[in-house]
Amino acid sequence: MRWIRALSPEAEETAETLGGKALGLVALHRLGLPVPPGFVITTEGCRAFLRDGRLPEGLDDELATAVADLERRTGRVFGGPDKPLAVSVRSGASVSMPGMMDTILNLGLTAEATEGLAAETGDRPFALSARLNFLTSFASATTDAAAPAVPEEHPGRRAGTEEAFLTRSVEAVEDLVRRRSGRPVPDDAPQQLRRAVEAVFSSWDAPRARTYREVNGIPHDLGTAVIVQRMVFGNRDGASGTGVAFSRDPNTGADAPFGEVLFGHQGEEVVSGRSTTRPLRELAEREPEVWAGLLDALRRIEEHYRDACYVEFTFESGELWLLQVRPGRFVGGAAVRLATELVDQGLIGREEALLRVSPLHLRHARTPRIASAEEADVLARGIGACPGVATGRIATTADGAVRMARTGPVVLVRPETSPNDMHGLAAATAIVTARGGPASHAAVVARAMGKPAVVGVAGLTIDPDDASVTAGGRTVPEGTLITVDGTSGDVALGSPRIVTDAADEHVRRLLAWADDASGDHSARDETQRLETAHTALRNR
Amino acid sequence: MTWPEARATDAGLLVLHALRCAGTISLARLHAITGLDESDAESELIDLGGDGLVTRLSGDMPGWSLTDAGRAADAERITHELEAAGARERVTAAYERFLVLNPELLDLCTAWQLRPVDGVMSVNDHSDPGYDSRVLARFADLDRRAAVVGAELSAALPRFGRYRVRLTEALERAASGRLEYVADSTASYHIVWAELHEDLLATLGLRR
Repeated sequence: MRWIRALSPEAEETAETLGGKALGLVALHRLGLPVPPGFVITTEGCRAFLRDGRLPEGLDDELATAVADLERRTGRVFGGPDKPLAVSVRSGASVSMPGMMDTILNLGLTAEATEGLAAETGDRPFALSARLNFLTSFASATTDAAAPAVPEEHPGRRAGTEEAFLTRSVEAVEDLVRRRSGRPVPDDAPQQLRRAVEAVFSSWDAPRARTYREVNGIPHDLGTAVIVQRMVFGNRDGASGTGVAFSRDPNTGADAPFGEVLFGHQGEEVVSGRSTTRPLRELAEREPEVWAGLLDALRRIEEHYRDACYVEFTFESGELWLLQVRPGRFVGGAAVRLATELVDQGLIGREEALLRVSPLHLRHARTPRIASAEEADVLARGIGACPGVATGRIATTADGAVRMARTGPVVLVRPETSPNDMHGLAAATAIVTARGGPASHAAVVARAMGKPAVVGVAGLTIDPDDASVTAGGRTVPEGTLITVDGTSGDVALGSPRIVTDAADEHVRRLLAWADDASGDHSARDETQRLETAHTALRNR
Repeated sequence: MTWPEARATDAGLLVLHALRCAGTISLARLHAITGLDESDAESELIDLGGDGLVTRLSGDMPGWSLTDAGRAADAERITHELEAAGARERVTAAYERFLVLNPELLDLCTAWQLRPVDGVMSVNDHSDPGYDSRVLARFADLDRRAAVVGAELSAALPRFGRYRVRLTEALERAASGRLEYVADSTASYHIVWAELHEDLLATLGLRR
């Protein structure tokens, strides 16, 4: 085939053709790990689409062949009334462009296929909710609807009322698509797939994606691949769910899996931070087999990358599937600890460890902490999502944070954050959110910016009208001085005493190796010692 | 299609609404926002103060702000203006297009403030003119698309025209090397944009 490759251990192409995401899935296949069957439309197909303004000649036939193959491998029928096959359609360029392009879930769930799924599972609310997820993701990919189209409140799983609610929601989203794009959602699975592929290809050239590439120096002519895989349902039943996991703690580098899990839900909801997730460890109690499978996978992936890794996973009726993998990209003290412990484990040598730690990471490694939680007046406690301590005045909105930051440091306190809060996150010196876990938007952005953050503070409420924050029965107004410790998760009133852990064992070990590599054992500051070692190693 | 001729907003409402969208502000900023002479703006403030709609704050950050009654009065008058001009549908449509541009503006402000170094997001110290000019070029591109939305808005309600003037001014100053006009100054592109966002929400009676 010219435009399509099967996702298999035999796929032999590069990230330039398959995209980084598909290449990761090929690596998982080669490691013998569970990946939902699927295929990838190459970046070449995208470039042809962007050049000609239409899907390339022959792609339709290839799609039909690839889908028929997928039907054979899964024993299911695309859009069929019996054992319907649903797929996910995701973008995957050769460079990471987080959140810039589209994903469509549960595609192929036509009205008829949805009834088929309901009959097959004996769970009509599940089937309707899967169809609603399809329509919502299809709507946001194919129209300019900026606002989420799905009603925010989900009722509990009470059969009668929930079915009626889901049916109404399905109709509302169908109406929205008709209104916004002037054509209805096709009720034909191959047509849905065609439109979804066009939408993902087009999203490469969306102004926002262009801006991202422009400012990050990424060429515009790369294009994105499109990954089509059999859908696995994290919302299938009580033994289903979805999650994200780091093989080690990205805050400290400690060698213990770290992440979060959301039982009974599908993909996107974990990363959005909109739902309250559970610590990854809970998987061990609730789904011991899934947990064991995940631990085994993380270990094997680490050995393959010789690095910490990050995976996105779903489990359906107790069966684990891996949906995405990448290296961990640790920073600061976590990068130092990771590098030294990978040496201890024989995965990399000392020289490579030195080269993996940049002087900037070393500076970030000297993380301060609140000296004593007993001494401090702790207002609230949540999950430490990015280490470090910062003191500032409370701002309850992103715009408020930008405004207040002109006159002094600000702590942004929000129910949760979205990309629309970026200016406030950038202006703030620390971030606190009531909802979300360690991989929520707020946590990821805070870590990327190296700002102390505490997320998932149970019982924290923010009153926008009153511009006040309430926790543990105490209400404090916007402008109140607080201190955030992103390691312990403590949020304290005022500015308690702070200490810096100057005797970090891992930093000392790494710097001793640095001096050995450079042959310079004179007294210099830490950054210089590492830089000299880098120069010596690179000139070898 | 014909619409009722939208009339210019009267000076009192302009001043009231500026406080609604920009918060506590000085006379100088009120002039920048509304385009009214400072003395005219001040006399409007005194009248509004007499009606109990605005109040003058002293202290660290002196300025004028709305009272609760002023907030309620603004909501009522601005809605009345919208309905009288028969402009709700057009402003709503323009607002939806604004929402498509808004995330990109926030991305750009972030790119202006931060850039990745060795995988760590770091403060942009503006020592790389090549990077800054790439970001500013994208601001200019976004602004061309925002101008289309701005034209729709001012056709519906002329008072929205001030935003176009102020956004253009901010961008021109930033391009001439006055970097604080991107996201730092109270007359920066970002701040004017945020006020427009707030204005659209207030005008349509929506919550963020």
